[in-house]
Amino acid sequence: MLKRKWLAISAALAALSLLATACGSGGGSSAGGGSEGGSGTIKIGVTAPLSGDYASAGTDIVNAAKLAAEEINSNGGVLGKKIEIVPEDDQCDSQVGVQAAQKLMDEGVVAVAGGYCSSASIPETGVLAQKHIAFVADASTNPDLTEKNPGNVFRVIGRDDQQGPFAAKFMKEVLGAKKAAVIHDNTTYAKGLAEEAKKGLEENGVQVVFFDAITPGEKDYTSTLTRIKSLNPDVIYFTGYFAEGGILVKQSRELGITATFMGGDANQDPTLIATAGDKAEGMIITTAPLPQFLTGAQDFVNNYKSKYNQDPGPYSVYEYDCVKVVADAIQRANSTDPEKIVEALKQTKGYKGLTGDITFNEKGDRTGELYITTIVKDGKFTPYKKFENGQWVDIQ
Amino acid sequence: MGAFLQFLVNGLTVGSFYALVALGYTMIYGIIRLINFAHGDIFMVGAFIGWTALAAVAAWHLPAIVALAVVLLVAMLATGALGLVIERVAYQPLLKAPRLSILITALGASLALENGVMLKYGAGFQTYPHLLAGTGFNLAGAQVKYAQIGFFLLSLALMAGLYLFVHRTPVGAAMRALALDQDAARLMGIHVEGVIMLTFFLGSALAAAAGVMYGTYYTQINFMMGFLLGLRAFTAAVLGGIGNIPGAMVGGLLIGLLEAFSSGYVSGQWKDVIVFAVLILVLVVKPTGLFGERVVERM
Repeated sequence: MLKRKWLAISAALAALSLLATACGSGGGSSAGGGSEGGSGTIKIGVTAPLSGDYASAGTDIVNAAKLAAEEINSNGGVLGKKIEIVPEDDQCDSQVGVQAAQKLMDEGVVAVAGGYCSSASIPETGVLAQKHIAFVADASTNPDLTEKNPGNVFRVIGRDDQQGPFAAKFMKEVLGAKKAAVIHDNTTYAKGLAEEAKKGLEENGVQVVFFDAITPGEKDYTSTLTRIKSLNPDVIYFTGYFAEGGILVKQSRELGITATFMGGDANQDPTLIATAGDKAEGMIITTAPLPQFLTGAQDFVNNYKSKYNQDPGPYSVYEYDCVKVVADAIQRANSTDPEKIVEALKQTKGYKGLTGDITFNEKGDRTGELYITTIVKDGKFTPYKKFENGQWVDIQ
Repeated sequence: MGAFLQFLVNGLTVGSFYALVALGYTMIYGIIRLINFAHGDIFMVGAFIGWTALAAVAAWHLPAIVALAVVLLVAMLATGALGLVIERVAYQPLLKAPRLSILITALGASLALENGVMLKYGAGFQTYPHLLAGTGFNLAGAQVKYAQIGFFLLSLALMAGLYLFVHRTPVGAAMRALALDQDAARLMGIHVEGVIMLTFFLGSALAAAAGVMYGTYYTQINFMMGFLLGLRAFTAAVLGGIGNIPGAMVGGLLIGLLEAFSSGYVSGQWKDVIVFAVLILVLVVKPTGLFGERVVERM
């Protein structure tokens, strides 16, 4: 009974989506003809979640893309034409994402700059690859995105398997750690990051004396921490989320553990400090640089605020760079042919973005160190150290 | 030795929270044979009422202990009253209905409480102010906090108070009579509905006390916190022998200790496996739970 109902619903949805694509292609062909005809605009698609749980993040991303396009257009555009941003809702869902990619192709976009959720981005890239349309990801960090690259994928943000080794390097070189404890919470993200960190620590000659999971949602981790205390590590790295991170750092200090406490990027949330109070002081987080920590992004933050009357989201600045990199590639390709844009993107070397220099490797990933550390100081996350030109430097 | 003592201290602290909540499950089951699935959420609401009250009394600049005592009392009364309302609205009309109906309304009450608190306070985390400085002393290598001792003693006092109330007062005698046989108790002139409401009031107030202590101790609360803790407390009640008051206390402390030792000596991931394996083992050997031998008189 239930099964039949679902069948009916999915059939209805399929029919609806067919209708929608049919309408989309009808409208898109004339617009597409316009861009090919020498006049009109160059269309860049943006896939992002514009409804559902992550709608606010998606809106931040589209806002940033539009801001980038406006700046390019006010400086004369690209190849004498204006850039037009075409947003499409992917709801962080693989099915909806595939349809969004299809719609964007029908709209005649020459490249796509977007991709918040890896789960939606990965199938989208497959659809776009059919017409060799470039996909430049702004926030999808899952390694598979570029590991299974059909040849058209680039990303300006780091990978989950880059953060782990970065954290390990920091523990070894800055903290001089000899023994480390790694805690995760058994979620896909946290476990993956913990395993990468463990691998990195062992490669750096740091002994991993503790590697285990806690159960998220609980409040008492003192027994696990007592065990860690008896192993006497120099540093503890927790790769789960901020709610548990706050409790862990608080309880470890109350048990008299003096080891440096570190957390992965999901710990960068004010709730952590509210939970742990002054016990959070000195905790170090590995994170992708947020706009407020990027010295070059101040103008962007101000422009964004004055235009949208709110602060940019954590990934707005990455989306801004995505659009700029695509525009740069179109300029260098001297063509709006998607295939030539992909070729130009592959040649991107040291493009000066707000998030730093952008160069893609053969997989499409960005090269260089993409993570920084922040430290809790006077009840606030403040920029701490980054790895630059082969050495660790303080961030001003 | 230090680690062993530490596990013992932590286990007793968590266990006393479980025991307080388990008492509510056991009392309500003892009287009307209902597994009150909303009880874990009543504990959660207690923590939120305490949080709101703490913010309200912050303006008076009371010493931390006094403020906490005031808030504890307010939260217990308010949550007790909420327990009354839930009983009146969701359970009393169904007391004569099949057991399944009342079980479903209990689930409904649970969801209503969770979502109500989420709408009022948001889905994120709220944090209690850091009232107790977290100071303590070193006992043979184990860190013991004054808050732990205080909360443990307070829990024991509340449990002892309840035990004395049930066994030494006429109202308590009425409660026990009702647990034995509702119709006979009514014939003896006992106000059955009144006693049932009082049971809900007491159970909810104890859960609220646990909620406020829990919030103060761990500083972090959210609308889903009652689920996991409620599950553990319910397990504690079953382990001790549901319907039996001393059983709930012992069951709560036992579950707390089992958790602390298994995550200390084995692994945090294996904790629940071990706790529930022990539960199954106990129930296989003794289906009525550890203290469940007095089947006739359940209080």
